[in-house]
Amino acid sequence: MKKQILSSVLALASLGATVSLLAQAPAGAGATKGKGKAPAAPAAPAPKLPDGSPDLSGVWTGFGSNAGDISSALKPGSSVEMLPWAVDKMKTLKSQDDPQANCMPSGIPRGNPYPWRIVQFPTHKAATHIWILYEGNIHSFRQIFMDGRPHPEDPDPTWWGHSTGKWEGDTLVVDTMGFNDKFWFDYLGHPHTEKLHTIERFRRTDMNTLEMEVTIEDPGTYTTPFTTVGRARLMPGEELMEYVCQENNIDLEHVNAPAQLP
Amino acid sequence: MKTSLTFALAALVTASIPMAAHHSFAAEYDAKTVVEFDAVVTKLEWTNPHAHFYVDVTDANGAVAHWNFELASPNMLNRNGFTRKSLKEGDKVHVTGSRAKDGTTTASTSRIVFPDGHVLTMTGAQQGK
Repeated sequence: MKKQILSSVLALASLGATVSLLAQAPAGAGATKGKGKAPAAPAAPAPKLPDGSPDLSGVWTGFGSNAGDISSALKPGSSVEMLPWAVDKMKTLKSQDDPQANCMPSGIPRGNPYPWRIVQFPTHKAATHIWILYEGNIHSFRQIFMDGRPHPEDPDPTWWGHSTGKWEGDTLVVDTMGFNDKFWFDYLGHPHTEKLHTIERFRRTDMNTLEMEVTIEDPGTYTTPFTTVGRARLMPGEELMEYVCQENNIDLEHVNAPAQLP
Repeated sequence: MKTSLTFALAALVTASIPMAAHHSFAAEYDAKTVVEFDAVVTKLEWTNPHAHFYVDVTDANGAVAHWNFELASPNMLNRNGFTRKSLKEGDKVHVTGSRAKDGTTTASTSRIVFPDGHVLTMTGAQQGK
């Protein structure tokens, strides 16, 4: 009897697995390619919060630029046009001085290998805050104010700047200023100044996929704004883990090389 | 206990762990300088931003060299079934990696063959990511 129950359970389980695999097949294409052991979630439309605004919450992997060189992740029609000082500066950069390699935040729009979580709060009415919790590079967070407040007049420059967000249809538009000039946009060290202003557009096109576009304006470094494109993939069932980069960063003592691709 | 260990290792057969790092692989390691040893594990350092394991390599004349092999970070290793108990002092492994460009006995791990024949591979920067 016990055996029968067990085999029934196993049969049901395997049926369930088959069904969910079939259900995944169409939506999985393109959206679920990647690493990690978590199975892809069934194809489903992007969820909504009770107030009707898009629910972006979840653990994601992928960023506004997933490239080692931002100029290879541009929206068609965009180009990276640097002022002469920036061209000269990039020629002098050393890989061991990359802030990310030194356990500093990756900044916007740079990617890193680690997952991150979007948290909207509160969830029973229109969220006043959205937080992005980063597992890695570094263990840190961004806060995006959704309550309509303006940017401060003259904020202290910071790694993640001051972010305000609003919905344009189903797209979350995040406007950020008040950055410091310390992080690099990529492994090559594309620089910026404190005049940096970013506009990020996040759109959850289905349950598994977050499309991102990041428009970068920095008249101190670039003659024209440009836009990077990236995509994040949902990691169903995944949780953030601890990653304290500063713990034992001993590899850099072996690095003495120009800034370069991974 | 033995069964669970075998099971854990069996899970590693197909484990291909992303090695993508917070620093440039190419700036530190030379993918063309491949090192490969039968080695004895002396220590597993389960730390961020990278785990490392240290091995003793004995040459034909009996001289012992100490090597440091870099792994992915503990969070990424854990997600792929490689835990802080996967390597322990005294384990005999066959390890392959890319040597550091500074000529020290340091390498980025690309493959570990465990005593029972199970294999763990790392993918990522050294594959040109």
